[in-house]
Amino acid sequence: MNRSQRLAARHNAATRQLREFASTFDRAADYVGIPHNERERFLAWTIQHLWNIHTEERMNKRLIIENEIKSLGVYLPNGTVRKPYSASFTLPADKVSEVRLEGIEETGLQMTQTSPGVFTVEGTPLSHGDFPLRLSFATVEGEPRSEMTIPVAFNPDPRSIWKDIRSSQHEEGLKPDMIAEYVMVEADSDGSPRKDIVAASIQGRSHAHEGRARDDYFAVEHYPDSDWYVLAVADGAGSARLSWRGSEIACDTIMEHCRECLKDNKLFEEAIAAFSQDQNTSLRSVLTTQVSDIIYKGAVKAHEAIGRAADDTPDAAMRDFATTLMFAICKKFPFGWFIASFWVGDGAMCIYNEKDGSIKLLGTPDEGEFSGQTRFLTMREIFHDKDIVKKRMRMGIVPDFTALFLMTDGVSDPMFETERNLKDANKWKEFTSLLKSGFPDDGIPGVDLSDDNKDAKDQLLEWLKFWSPGNHDDRTLVILY
Amino acid sequence: MRKLPVYLLLDCSGSMYGEPIEAVKNGLQVLTSTLTSDPYALETAFVSVITFNTDARQAVPLTEIAAFQPPQLQASGCTALGAALELVTKCAENEVVKTTPEKKGDWKPLVFIMTDGEPTDDIRKGLEDFKRYKWGTVVACAAGAGANTTTLKQITENVVSLDTTDSATIRQFFKWVSASVQANSMKVEEGGGELSSIGELPPPPPEVNIVI
Repeated sequence: MNRSQRLAARHNAATRQLREFASTFDRAADYVGIPHNERERFLAWTIQHLWNIHTEERMNKRLIIENEIKSLGVYLPNGTVRKPYSASFTLPADKVSEVRLEGIEETGLQMTQTSPGVFTVEGTPLSHGDFPLRLSFATVEGEPRSEMTIPVAFNPDPRSIWKDIRSSQHEEGLKPDMIAEYVMVEADSDGSPRKDIVAASIQGRSHAHEGRARDDYFAVEHYPDSDWYVLAVADGAGSARLSWRGSEIACDTIMEHCRECLKDNKLFEEAIAAFSQDQNTSLRSVLTTQVSDIIYKGAVKAHEAIGRAADDTPDAAMRDFATTLMFAICKKFPFGWFIASFWVGDGAMCIYNEKDGSIKLLGTPDEGEFSGQTRFLTMREIFHDKDIVKKRMRMGIVPDFTALFLMTDGVSDPMFETERNLKDANKWKEFTSLLKSGFPDDGIPGVDLSDDNKDAKDQLLEWLKFWSPGNHDDRTLVILY
Repeated sequence: MRKLPVYLLLDCSGSMYGEPIEAVKNGLQVLTSTLTSDPYALETAFVSVITFNTDARQAVPLTEIAAFQPPQLQASGCTALGAALELVTKCAENEVVKTTPEKKGDWKPLVFIMTDGEPTDDIRKGLEDFKRYKWGTVVACAAGAGANTTTLKQITENVVSLDTTDSATIRQFFKWVSASVQANSMKVEEGGGELSSIGELPPPPPEVNIVI
């Protein structure tokens, strides 16, 4: 049989079947007694009714599946912009097909069926915001596609929403938002290396976010003639509007005062030498008096200098200049290092000795029940405290040390968190190794504290930019090493 | 990382049906989108939603704001405020990290309570539990004419009222809640501790009245 013969045969068969159906229908209609002229309408009516039942059943089936899918609680967890995203959900593969997630393309993600019924949404979100994605799927043949909304939210990268605004103090040349310094002290005449100072201070992200000045300040010096080192760090109170000046005045006053006191001070150095021989009470008290003359008087002078600045500034009070202050004077003698210090406020000042893993904290941070309730140099009651010497001043002789650290709470809070940890030598070991290693995950290199490494100041400046959620205060770190 | 916990206690009783509950849902969206675009809040704020009607239930456990998804809310039943106070205290005891010598704990939680009616349960037990816990700022909001500010005053000093429960007013309330959370997360990141009274919160919009 050729093609046209095949078609003709099929046509004949169909015609035969139709004729048979028509005569069967006629016989049935005769039997029931349906008049000839109403038979067509009756047939239409029957089909209509059966069609209605059929579609209703179909719709019900679809609705049941839709409700089942909705009750699954399919959701997409929130994501972060430019961070790889992956989430999966499962739908009953025997009930739904042709699953699509409408609106997914514009988010930068894609949905794929990883195994029957398991759908994975993957990719990297392009922009932040709420996206009301629509999950659509086919259920029953002949029914419209079903749709439900699945919202997904992408958050901005927390690091990207910190603004970086220069402060007006920076713009006007009054105080830079970041600064670093290296004091290189060349080797002794006998060739043995002498300690250097590296120091850096940066405006915290919270200040940069609003273009507020850096409240922290430091000053460091080495006097070539007398070989004394002086290091000072101050942290202006965030709530005090002129504290960026307060910290500056405090440190600068200390430097000026110490420069004067330590210039050719034979009496003082003799007292230190005598004390090194015999640390008995009388020699100790002689030295304490001398140290007080330098250290305590320095703090008083700094307090007074701020007082004068407040007087000279219209509509300003001393508390507007509120600042902490820590400073240390040190010198290497044949019998060891003499170190004396003063500390009011929070932060940390510590001698670290890598060889035996020991530390010596030069005082205790003033921390209230809540952080932020620290003591300030600008508070008069500090100087009325009869225990001021015991509480705030330290002096002593140590054989040698790896580093003397002075830091504001912008560094000590994220690095040590609590006062207990500050007293823990292991935590200082961890801190120094972080200083060396940097933060490779964030692309922040470490600080190379080898002798005469002038690059250390820029390394330290970079290092201070480490990320620590919830810690965005100004950061200052001074190291004598 | 020290969390700044925020507990939202939301009345989902039958009287909230319709526009008010829709407005609350919308308000939670406002809160989420505001806080996720603020660098301070995004790093520190953790939000939990406790709903109360015939009983109280923690609809969302304390969740960092980046992962927070507003819950489904349905209004029906009565106003078990006492149960909600009891539950929030229990939740805070479990979820908020306490300070130890080695680790600084979380900041004191902020609590925002919103109700449009009288409590239908006995609030004494819940109130007693609630008062034992050390909260940060607690703000109670009497939404609409049906709410009793005297009852709320027993819970906290800081009571505000909304004249109506229409969507615009409720939206303003949530905007103010968002601003308060922002201000608080900024303060804690600056090392200033928690805000402790309503006077330290951002000034409320005209729709939100402070009840003295």
